[in-house]
Amino acid sequence: MTVTSPADADLEVVHARRPRPRRGVSLRDAGPPVALVVVFGVFAALSPGFRTLSNVQNVLDAAAVLTVVTCGITFVLMMGSIDLSAPGIMGASAIAVALLVANNRNDNDFGLLGVVVAVLLGAGLGCLSGLALVTLKVPSFMTTLGISAVGLGVATLMFAGVQPNVSDRMLEGLAVERFLGLAHLTWIAFACVLVGWLVQRYSRLGRYAFAIGGAEEVLALSGVRVAPYKVAVFTMAGAFYGLAGVMVTSQLGAGLVQAGKGYDFSAIAAAVVGGTLLIGGRGGILHSAVGVLLVTVLTNGLVQIGVSPYWQGGVQGLIVVAAVAAAVIPQRRRNQVTK
Amino acid sequence: MSTPVITTPAAEAAVTGRAGVGRRLTSFMPVIALVVLLAALTVADPGFLTLNSLTAAARTSAPLVVLAAGATLVVLCGGIDLSIAALCSLATVFFALWLPDAGGLTTVAVIAATAAIGAVQGVAHVLLRIPSFIVTLGGMSIFSAIALVISDAGPIRVVDRDATHWLTLYVGGVVPMAFVVALLVVVVVSLVLRLTPLESWIRATGYSESAARLAGAPVDVVKIAAFTVSGACAGLAAVMLVSRNFSGSPTMADNLLLPAVAAIVVGGTAITGGHGSLWRSLAGALVVTLLRVGLPIVGVPSAYEQILYGAIIVAAVALTLDRSKVLTIK
Repeated sequence: MTVTSPADADLEVVHARRPRPRRGVSLRDAGPPVALVVVFGVFAALSPGFRTLSNVQNVLDAAAVLTVVTCGITFVLMMGSIDLSAPGIMGASAIAVALLVANNRNDNDFGLLGVVVAVLLGAGLGCLSGLALVTLKVPSFMTTLGISAVGLGVATLMFAGVQPNVSDRMLEGLAVERFLGLAHLTWIAFACVLVGWLVQRYSRLGRYAFAIGGAEEVLALSGVRVAPYKVAVFTMAGAFYGLAGVMVTSQLGAGLVQAGKGYDFSAIAAAVVGGTLLIGGRGGILHSAVGVLLVTVLTNGLVQIGVSPYWQGGVQGLIVVAAVAAAVIPQRRRNQVTK
Repeated sequence: MSTPVITTPAAEAAVTGRAGVGRRLTSFMPVIALVVLLAALTVADPGFLTLNSLTAAARTSAPLVVLAAGATLVVLCGGIDLSIAALCSLATVFFALWLPDAGGLTTVAVIAATAAIGAVQGVAHVLLRIPSFIVTLGGMSIFSAIALVISDAGPIRVVDRDATHWLTLYVGGVVPMAFVVALLVVVVVSLVLRLTPLESWIRATGYSESAARLAGAPVDVVKIAAFTVSGACAGLAAVMLVSRNFSGSPTMADNLLLPAVAAIVVGGTAITGGHGSLWRSLAGALVVTLLRVGLPIVGVPSAYEQILYGAIIVAAVALTLDRSKVLTIK
């Protein structure tokens, strides 16, 4: 910037600064969708089985559960925290819902109410990790690791050695019945993205989650009580995991303790690939949705071109490390201490 | 996770002001817990305090002790290694696959391989500046994938039992060799740390990385070394597991991650880095093993084991966390 008279300088600053952040953000935001199109194109060119309409339906249906988990984890990541509790919470809610709707283990037949209870159970467990974070001041990756173990334990207790098979029409139908070519579960996932986007965009919770990730100290110093919002974000994430557990039960037709195995890491991978930074303050639901599609297309495409499905986790691991490494490059100097 | 760190005198005060009664009590916490547990188990079942069952418990604890001891070094530097269990599983597969060709050298080869893998994680953490728990979380899923692919997702039998026979021996007819080896690991690593500047460097890195850097400590090399040792320990633990199970499997050690993390934090090593030692993790690992062995004795279903691990981890971290050092908890 050249030094001119103060008035000119002000004008110049206004003119020079405005477009700059926009350009930067748009480049960052455009990356994942472009990558999605490129990856999709590459697989479509390589594999005839990939470029069929039914396979696109498959991809969308396969992305449903991961989408819901990622909706939850995105808010936590936006705050700069991390959440490893998805496997435990999903396991607990999967068994809970299987035992509450019509099943082969007991005479319960609560239908939709059972689903609500399972989601609330997830929210409760999420709330616990949030409370442990703000009251005991334990870092979130430790509290959520602990809560995940607690959830798995609760699930194992309820499992009690006999697998609960679901015979509830409504719950089974969610995975089987289709609307406009997509399973009902996929529409639920769309609804979750919409709800998440509305919360992120228009509610105080969503705005504060961003602000906490950006500069928690500043927010606290301006008189905002940060702790309740943190607990609320973890509670909401727990509710999303609870719903995801219900969806897995609907797909499998039975409650399994391992219903959520690996979803924590896949969701982190999806969110990070979509452009949500692990240090918080950037990203969002729509970014994560693109990330989920990217991860699912990659998984599906690799299988279609004949790569062993066992590599799935390895590919996600590489993606996460690469995406995080790429994201921290601009901040190398600022971020001198890495734990 | 990049934790905002204050490097004001407040942090230094916390380092030196360790002599308080509460602080001293927490520093003996693992030993007290160990004694209380032993006493409680003996009351619940008088048959527990016999040579046979104690020997069995010691033998069970050996892989856990080794895993926890290695990861403790990383925690002392202020990081965390979540890949130990997956790496250990991968190493059991390596062992089972390499044994027919490498014979007696397999143990060395496996430990060297896991040490190299650990070093790669350390280099990724240091050079790419990725938080250690992301690197190792990524490593965890990559190692699991490799193990699944090379083993074809099933257990591989180990037919030649001579290579691991020495680990199943008993020293003096009483102490299991595996436990002796685990103790040796703790003693040797502790001695090496004590007799070289390494201990000061590791502590300095953990307490305040930027200060350590400014003071000229080779922070990056120390961190990579910590990850290397952690990897090597995962390999050794894998050999111990194979010596007991006579097979290698891509998921054999996966359920050891939570107990190992629990052992470290129950021992009183602060997750924020700097404060703690390998001896503490040894005590922590014994506490965790006793809980594991003891719950069925007291008549608690093993499903509670998981819940207990979760509660213990959160509670122990809450007790040992150095709050003066962390400005905001993420």
